[in-house]
Amino acid sequence: MSILNPLRTPGPADAGLPMRAYRSVRGTPARWALYGRITALNFKAQASYRGEFLLGLLFGLVWQGALVLFAGVLLLRFPGLGGWTQGDVLLIAAMRLLSHGGYVAFFPNVSNLSFLVQQGNVDGYLLRPLPLYRQVLLARFPINSLGDLLAGVGVFAVALARLDVAWTPVKALYVAAGIIGGMLVEGSLQTALSIAAFRFTGLATWTAWVDETLSTYGNYPLNVLPGAVRGTLTFGLPLAFIAYLPASIVTGHAGTTGVPAWLAAASPAVGLLLFLAVKAGWYGSVRWYQSPGG
Amino acid sequence: MNISSASAGDQAGTIVAENLTKVFFSTARVPGPLGAVRSLIHPRRVATTAVDGVGFRIEPGRLAAFLGPNGAGKSTTIKMLTGILTPTGGRVEVNGLVPHKARIANARLVGAVFGQRSQLWWDLPAIDSLRVLADIHGVPPAELRVRLARFDRILELSAFWDNRARQLSLGQRVRCDLAAALIHDPPVLYLDEPTIGMDVVVKEQVREFLREQVEQRGRTVVLTTHDMTEVERLAGRVILINSGRIVYDGDLDGLRATHADAQDPTDLEAIMRHAFTADTDQDLDTLDMEQAVPAG
Amino acid sequence: MTLAAIDPPQLQRQSRRQSQRAWRAARVTLLAEFNQWGRVGSVLFMLLARTCLCFWLWQALYRSTSTSAGMNRSQATTYALLGVFYMSFRSVNRWANRDMMVQHMLDGTIAYWFLRPVTPRRYYCVRALGDLAYGGAWAALAYTVCRSTGLIAAPVSAAAGLGAAGSLVLGLAILYYLQQLIDLACFWTVVNFQLVVMYGIVQNVLAGALVPLWFFPGWFVGFDRWLPFQGTLNVPLSLYLGVLPMSGLVRDLALQAGWIALLAVLTALVWRRAGARVTVLGG
Repeated sequence: MSILNPLRTPGPADAGLPMRAYRSVRGTPARWALYGRITALNFKAQASYRGEFLLGLLFGLVWQGALVLFAGVLLLRFPGLGGWTQGDVLLIAAMRLLSHGGYVAFFPNVSNLSFLVQQGNVDGYLLRPLPLYRQVLLARFPINSLGDLLAGVGVFAVALARLDVAWTPVKALYVAAGIIGGMLVEGSLQTALSIAAFRFTGLATWTAWVDETLSTYGNYPLNVLPGAVRGTLTFGLPLAFIAYLPASIVTGHAGTTGVPAWLAAASPAVGLLLFLAVKAGWYGSVRWYQSPGG
Repeated sequence: MNISSASAGDQAGTIVAENLTKVFFSTARVPGPLGAVRSLIHPRRVATTAVDGVGFRIEPGRLAAFLGPNGAGKSTTIKMLTGILTPTGGRVEVNGLVPHKARIANARLVGAVFGQRSQLWWDLPAIDSLRVLADIHGVPPAELRVRLARFDRILELSAFWDNRARQLSLGQRVRCDLAAALIHDPPVLYLDEPTIGMDVVVKEQVREFLREQVEQRGRTVVLTTHDMTEVERLAGRVILINSGRIVYDGDLDGLRATHADAQDPTDLEAIMRHAFTADTDQDLDTLDMEQAVPAG
Repeated sequence: MTLAAIDPPQLQRQSRRQSQRAWRAARVTLLAEFNQWGRVGSVLFMLLARTCLCFWLWQALYRSTSTSAGMNRSQATTYALLGVFYMSFRSVNRWANRDMMVQHMLDGTIAYWFLRPVTPRRYYCVRALGDLAYGGAWAALAYTVCRSTGLIAAPVSAAAGLGAAGSLVLGLAILYYLQQLIDLACFWTVVNFQLVVMYGIVQNVLAGALVPLWFFPGWFVGFDRWLPFQGTLNVPLSLYLGVLPMSGLVRDLALQAGWIALLAVLTALVWRRAGARVTVLGG
């Protein structure tokens, strides 16, 4: 076939074909196959920085381990925090860690958006026939996620051993939904923040601050904090919905959260709705995008 | 650093290179996901010769242009002249100093602009960057004022130097970078593809500036370029590099004479095509290797 | 003056001394931060939020108990808040300024560092001092406000206060050298994103920034004693609170100084090797 062998072809192989726009990749399976290929390429690209890659694998584990250590040390030293048993508090920590593990697997590049803008990557994304947000999510392979998830699974196992909860399939499913909801809350927060990257620099400190705040204060029963602070962490920076509120439903502390029980129970839905709203807002803000000069 | 042995090369503005060679070592990448894992565990090192025994001498107050295809070794040569890269072999002397050995002294006597890489601080107004650089070089404020005014006259910097570097257009930024490279009035200026991506008006402005620097200020300028118009306008002397070796060193007329059998001996681009394809015909293997060169 | 009149050998003799005015490059930090008030506002907001959250958390933890690990509420709160202020020393956002070592490596602009009449090592130092001065101003402001409002306790004695201040200066020097080693790793690994973050965690845990070290088991504290990290934060704060007695002050300071000497020699060696390793990407 001459088309397969360009050297034998007298002119360009497509000389006789009319010019047309290619249809973008259609259908969910094809799309995901494409995302899989991009992810594999990213993996390869990052694996070429050897030391970095191996450190990255370790990193999630060490970081979350450090935070668990922080929470663990305090739990041992200050038992009965806010009327919660150690097992109950560990459930908060475990759910938050697993949510965060999911977040790190899917959303970590959102918090790097300012970096991607600075390096000119976003210019390139805007010229490709794929959704911009998806391309941002696929910018780098989430090396850290493995360590994060492992830390989460470990703490979850310890929490299960110490928990005094009569498990039913519904409760188990609810915990799973709560973890996914928590992942979406964290994803929405960082996505909302990343909107600023279209226009401003200096976002990195904010993403780091949000990450640090969620990691530090997301592990406690928030009812130990004064009402105003609790309110801020529920409706301002909605950290409470990540693990505290769903865990309060499972452990029977819903009455002390200061939030209507139905709202606490609806945490997974809150996560989903928040994410959809933020994503719509994110796309609406692309028009603010200022390409880096030069 | 042996100053006494350098005789005529002692003079400011002189550039001497003898048998200059640079070999890079890199990790070979094996394609495929398994390959990535394998390079992770057991990387394979590969040596590539980017510059292979280059020699020339450039006198003070002259301009010389390095020409050659991508990956020919032009930039690597320039980086060895600046002292950023340490040569694997051979001798280099600029202003009577060995650049990679006498870094500080060398830095006072050379300036450089590397293509699109800016030394301006990303978030500062360009004028602030110029002032800080003047401080780093210890330029007295009075001299700085005079110099900035002179740069401004030709490059029209004051129209935009209050803007932050990240807000400047490419042409504006490279003009500021030219000023930054010359803020300490060095006898030698290196330019690695200075006008790449610029519009015709800015290009002409930069050429005018460079001409003035060479002819009136007596600065030695070494540049690499792909722009043939630039070569015709600026360069009395061209040094053609291919596959890490010098294939021609002389003036433009001589180059035209050498390649009289090119399609159109008056058209410099035709001569370039002729020169470089002739070379690759002889040495196809080298060219294939060159494409793997990481820097160059 | 004509360029031909320059005498390179003479110039080389003169220029053993680097430009004294180069110290003025430290003001890049201030110029960059005050050029965008949003940055300053961010630092203020985050400092405020960190302070409040930290204060309430420790107040809450001590609600049902008066002492834990031998520490009372005031001591624990003071320690934690001083730890927050200490973080302000690193208020400058070098990432946003595209001014991290790794960014210079990726952009290839690191080349210019080697083309200035100031060694890259000196330049690094000057810029770090600028950052430290700016961050230190925030830390001092926060300390003054919280001290005057009584959120944190005074040092146990004037002597302890002085000892803590001296130890803080030494601790910052240790921090500077450790950070520098992490940045220098770029010359070998090109990118060091993971290393930067990883180091941040190790530093926070082992220095006692995350949890005061006295809450940790004894073996951990004993092991940590031989590492440089606790000298950056735990030592000055413990002196301040009287957890470390003044009688051991000389030994504590000497240990810190020993680390500084060791790290200074090490960084100098690494810089020397780094100069031979500059590769300019994609050149």
